[in-house]
Amino acid sequence: MKYVQLFFQYAAQYMKTRLTYRTDMVVEIFSDLMSQAVNFVFILLVFGHTTMISGWSREEIIFIYGFFLVPFAIFGAFFNIWDFNDRYIVKGEMDRILTRPIHSLFQIVLERMELESLFGVITGIAVMLYAGSLLDLSMAWYDPFIFVLLVLGGTLVYASIFVLIASISFWSDSPTSIMPMMYNIGNYGRYPVNIYNNVIRFVLTWILPFAFVGVYPAAYFLGREDWYTYAFLTPVVGLVFFTFSIFMWNVGVTKYRGAGN
Amino acid sequence: MGKYIEMIRIRFLMMLAYRTNYYSGILIYSINIGAYYFLWNAIYGDKGSIEGMSALQMTSYISIAWMARAFYFNNIDREIAQEIKEGKVAIEFIRPYNYLLMKTMQGLGEGIFRLSFFSVPGMVVVMFIFPIAFSTNPATWLLFALALVFSFLINMQINLLTGILTFFFYNNMGLIRAKRVVIDLFSGLLLPISFFPGWAQKIMDFLPFQGISYVPSMIFTESFSGSEVINAVLFQVVWVLILILPIQILWLIARKQLVVQGG
Amino acid sequence: MENMIEVKELRKEFKSHSSRSGLKGAFRDLLTRNYKVVPAVNDISFSVKRGEMVGYIGENGAGKSTSIKMLTGILTPTSGTVRVNGMDPHKEREQFVRSIGVVFGQRSQLWWDIAVQESFRLLKKVYNVPDDVYNVHMNHVIESLDIGPLLDKPVRKLSLGQRMRCELAAALLHNPPLLFLDEPTIGLDVLVKLKIREFLKEMNAKYNTTVLLTTHDLSDIEALCERVVMLDEGKIIYDGQLSSLRSNWGEGKQIEFQFADTAVTKHSLQPLLAELDAAWTPGNRQNVWIANVLNEEHVISEVIGRVVAAHKITDLKVHEISIEDIIRNIYEEGITNG
Repeated sequence: MKYVQLFFQYAAQYMKTRLTYRTDMVVEIFSDLMSQAVNFVFILLVFGHTTMISGWSREEIIFIYGFFLVPFAIFGAFFNIWDFNDRYIVKGEMDRILTRPIHSLFQIVLERMELESLFGVITGIAVMLYAGSLLDLSMAWYDPFIFVLLVLGGTLVYASIFVLIASISFWSDSPTSIMPMMYNIGNYGRYPVNIYNNVIRFVLTWILPFAFVGVYPAAYFLGREDWYTYAFLTPVVGLVFFTFSIFMWNVGVTKYRGAGN
Repeated sequence: MGKYIEMIRIRFLMMLAYRTNYYSGILIYSINIGAYYFLWNAIYGDKGSIEGMSALQMTSYISIAWMARAFYFNNIDREIAQEIKEGKVAIEFIRPYNYLLMKTMQGLGEGIFRLSFFSVPGMVVVMFIFPIAFSTNPATWLLFALALVFSFLINMQINLLTGILTFFFYNNMGLIRAKRVVIDLFSGLLLPISFFPGWAQKIMDFLPFQGISYVPSMIFTESFSGSEVINAVLFQVVWVLILILPIQILWLIARKQLVVQGG
Repeated sequence: MENMIEVKELRKEFKSHSSRSGLKGAFRDLLTRNYKVVPAVNDISFSVKRGEMVGYIGENGAGKSTSIKMLTGILTPTSGTVRVNGMDPHKEREQFVRSIGVVFGQRSQLWWDIAVQESFRLLKKVYNVPDDVYNVHMNHVIESLDIGPLLDKPVRKLSLGQRMRCELAAALLHNPPLLFLDEPTIGLDVLVKLKIREFLKEMNAKYNTTVLLTTHDLSDIEALCERVVMLDEGKIIYDGQLSSLRSNWGEGKQIEFQFADTAVTKHSLQPLLAELDAAWTPGNRQNVWIANVLNEEHVISEVIGRVVAAHKITDLKVHEISIEDIIRNIYEEGITNG
């Protein structure tokens, strides 16, 4: 309960500061839209030369991309801690975090949140609605609830991978290059995993489970029953990975070396 | 000149110092190339060729495009933006060297490092896993190397431009991010420019971006024929020359502004 | 009285890797690295009583901040035990840090872009301080530190002295029984320093707050602490009263003469001190000389008498050897010489 209150307190502060730098916020949202547009254009360009990719139509691929945008946006708003090593370990801000009576990761999430990234939720839903209407998808009354559940699962998957990589900073001097590259790898969850070979499919499912952010949960809404097992595993995989990442984080904190030593 | 060469060396050493980055780099570049390899194979399906390129040419194109990216890609724009924000650029002005040239050399040091330690070993790994067509014609390799140098220069110049823009838009990290994704698409890294609809290709002919990735990759896969190669390299040269102008102008204005406002 | 801090054989080792030189060395570093285990804190033991104000001093790299970080729960010890306020700082971190306040002079606790009072409000939530307790306590703190007019300004617009006073208020917001101050007066002007010292004394008197103070500015320590703990190379080399430090190692006095005649030389002055156990050192100007003498009445009078009789002087000062000199001597000569 206290953590919820704290969250809103921080969020309110965040809004106040952001509103004083309004142009930054606009540029930020614009650049997000830009990268979403680039991916969208890529899909359109590819389908200018083919009608099906491994049994998926243009609209289905667009729908998967739209779904992917939603957990990705929520992840971006709260767990986008790519500069953790620089900001908190090298510059020693972790010292300050550790002198406060709140879980350290939670504090960092609060300090690093970028709420404008949530704009991507709207884009994602819009893209899904567009593709869904072309596909004539129907919606049951419980679908919105399942949507929320699957989105949360996908968000946790993304979050846990980044938390795990951030935790490496407690042991090693500099995993900074892995972070930006993870975004690239993460992008492959936007495409149906059956286009990849078994090894990569396995990696995207069980090791860096990015497939649970896009194609698996989206398959549920596309009515692809052969993928339902994976679709419903999404929240489970999210929880398991997230628990593991928190555990590694907590171990990492005990290995923290402090700055400047 | 010695100090600029020293800068390349220092940056090279700096890159070596971060060994975790090094190991992860090879792994991740291979994964990247691999994932696109599968995507393109799926797109080709049982089609023999699209836009005059076979599936084999396409996967070679993608591999070489990523390999080239390792060489030309850097975060110098971010670094410049950071240095401007922290006020360090003012100090750079009093140093006895050209700041922009120095940054270029740092980028080159980084590029040479990645080329020799990421791309080449990464490429060997990729070669064993996926079929990729390598040309046996030494002229192709030579032209490719030449085109690669120009693609580094064009990308560097665009980085310098976006970096300098920080003088005018205080926080332009968003702009830098947007620039990066746009370049990935318009430079031909994600797919060849020939896959764009005709009208879009016409527009791209008036923009420098395809000089970054499309030109060297097409040369490497021998998808260009005869005079197309020469035209493409000339296209790069012209853009390298054109881009000097806005950089110098913006840099002069920025310096003036810095002197007047005291950073 | 119970102990606030109890440290037994505390040790912290760091693995440091040395890079080989040159390009070839860098390549070899890619494959294997040379590690060296360095103890930053080397089996130290001490305790601090509730309500004590202790100065914690040492040169850079002596292990001060590493040990402070273990006391505050930031770092885990390699071995040894730490009990602070009856808790293990690292194991029960979230519970433990409620009972301490920390000021890192070189690092801000406050949020850069928002007004000071907004930072306070956030911290109030973070530490779960009830409104009534907060109001009574903080009104007092704000008044004592004279930061009322600063509360609605964003932190980035404050001067260093203003910011530091706000940092201190933030650290005391939850009225912790134990306060860690790491270089709290670094770079501050004298007036602000005095204000901060006064405030700390008042807090100590009113709430019996225990204070552990790290600083390079020994005048802070002299003004606040009766006891000092001195570290060198990870070990405690002195733990005791500040006053006994002075009486054991600082028994001499310095008499500074400014001569009217600029031609005075060490050579010409030498005979004046003849059989007295004293020595001349040059002062900071050409015609200024300092006689280092024992702190005994007859020696001091004798030296002054002889010098004044032999030369015309324009100024005369008698100094006690400063605590700074004493400490410098200890570090240079080692504790055994004392």
